[in-house]
Amino acid sequence: MDSRIGNLYPSSKFTFIILIILLSMLVPGFIFQYMIFLFIFLISLFSGTAIKFLSTFMKSIPILILFIFIFQVFLIVNEDSQQIWAFIHFSQIGLMTSLTMTSKIVAISSSIIWFFQVTRVKDIIYALEQSGVSQKVTFVIASTIQLIPQMLNLSRTIADAQKSRGIETEGTLFVRMKAFIPMIGPLVLSSIQQIEERVLALESRAFSSKAKKTSIYELRKQKIDYIIVIFCILVLIVYIVWRIKL
Amino acid sequence: MSIISLININYTYPLEEKQTIHSLSLDLEKGCVYGLTGANESGKTTICNIIRGFIPELYKGELTGEVMIKGKNINDYNIGDLATIIGYSFQNPFTQLSGVKDTVYEEIAYGMENIGVPRSKMIQKVDEIVKMFQLEDLIDKNPFELSGGQKQRVAIASVVALDPEIIILDEPTSQLDPKSTEDIFEIIQLLKKQGKTILLVEHKVDLLAAYCDEILLISRGELVMQGPVKEILSNPKVVEYGGQLPQVALYFIKKAKANGSSVSQVPLTVQEVYDHLNKDGEV
Ligand SMILES: Nc1ncnc2c1ncn2[C@@H]1O[C@H](COP(=O)(O)OP(=O)(O)O)[C@@H](O)[C@H]1O
Ligand SMILES: [Mg+2]
Repeated sequence: MDSRIGNLYPSSKFTFIILIILLSMLVPGFIFQYMIFLFIFLISLFSGTAIKFLSTFMKSIPILILFIFIFQVFLIVNEDSQQIWAFIHFSQIGLMTSLTMTSKIVAISSSIIWFFQVTRVKDIIYALEQSGVSQKVTFVIASTIQLIPQMLNLSRTIADAQKSRGIETEGTLFVRMKAFIPMIGPLVLSSIQQIEERVLALESRAFSSKAKKTSIYELRKQKIDYIIVIFCILVLIVYIVWRIKL
Repeated sequence: MSIISLININYTYPLEEKQTIHSLSLDLEKGCVYGLTGANESGKTTICNIIRGFIPELYKGELTGEVMIKGKNINDYNIGDLATIIGYSFQNPFTQLSGVKDTVYEEIAYGMENIGVPRSKMIQKVDEIVKMFQLEDLIDKNPFELSGGQKQRVAIASVVALDPEIIILDEPTSQLDPKSTEDIFEIIQLLKKQGKTILLVEHKVDLLAAYCDEILLISRGELVMQGPVKEILSNPKVVEYGGQLPQVALYFIKKAKANGSSVSQVPLTVQEVYDHLNKDGEV
């Protein structure tokens, strides 16, 4: 990750994302929205996260888009639908609907993916805490995010144990599902037990102290952060004024 | 005035029929190192939880008797503030981490953040603790990626960072190799020099003999023996109560018995053996 982008204050990047989302909703048609995708890709390139960006995007969004196209163009019956075969139709209106719909999804999802790839979780948590969000809320976010890789490890350990007992854990979806079910028990139980012990561990770190918390980690807003926020607000205002005048 | 006093404590875990701790009374003096030892399941961890107030605050059950910390009843303390008076590190290193920090450096600072220590002071303290626990190589690592022994060291460091007067260490070395075990005992000695009161749950009697002032022996929820290290760890009764004696002590007790002499000056550590033999002109 490029450090200039990484060290921006999370709320600056977030304001930018909000601007993108609002514009993709407000601007009619789909060309602008698909341009946004290209634009975000360029920013990713500049942020040093282009490969990660493409890989995350490609893994999730195309399937959704494909699904919407098939549904809108071939399955839903519109006024202009022409039957092709049995329940399959073709619809020009459906094609336009899916283009506008998917263009918004592409624009919004790509900007959100970019945001999370160039913003450290600890920065988000820090910014939330600084803006007065309760310590309890930020704790839940932080511990969930830290716990996910742990849970994965734990489930891998359990899977290994089951494999050594002769239970098939790899192969078709059905085989995996069958292996997953007996895993739930140990996974949930050991998680609950760990939670109980973690409560004690947190208490011994003064978690429930009534004092106003401080943070050893620090992230400062810089001039560029203010510039970005002001710029985003200006763009939005200019666009809205322009639309109203039209 | 004792820094910790337990007065006639009886405790039964919730849903259990049998009582776990029986009529336990205990006085711990400021600045001493106490070795709490006894067989597995004898109630050592339970006693630690009672002293720290986790029983009855977090574990319910039936508790009678009084716990006094620095002359004040434990119920008069806010459980959140007790962390700054009593540091407590647990037996299981895997569940002692805060789970919200992604570097060891920040993990150590977590307790201080919670009590609102100013940032510059925090940095100073963390640096000091890192040096004391020799964690320089680990500070940028994710606490979850450490080995059991490293986690244990970080956990103890994180607790000591709060500068508590009393430190409870529940089997701190059970996951450690011999070298790291020695390191922990060096740190215990350092903490003692700083005037801390330490309650150490430990099976390794050889090390208890070398580093503790007093031994507390628990058997089936009862405090069966208490006294200076020399007195307790040379007493064959310890074994009857499910405790252990240092290897050298066992040897000298046997030898003394064979000679028909008294067992009161049994050497407990290698150094003492050396001095003992030296005196007898055997070296
Ligand atoms: N959470 C609990 N609920 C019920 N019984 C418990 C609980 N924790 C410990 N015990 C029981 O209390 C007794 C003392 O346990 P513990 O204090 O952990 O012993 P030690 O630390 O000496 O090994 C044991 O018989 C144990 O089974
Ligand atoms: Mg125990």
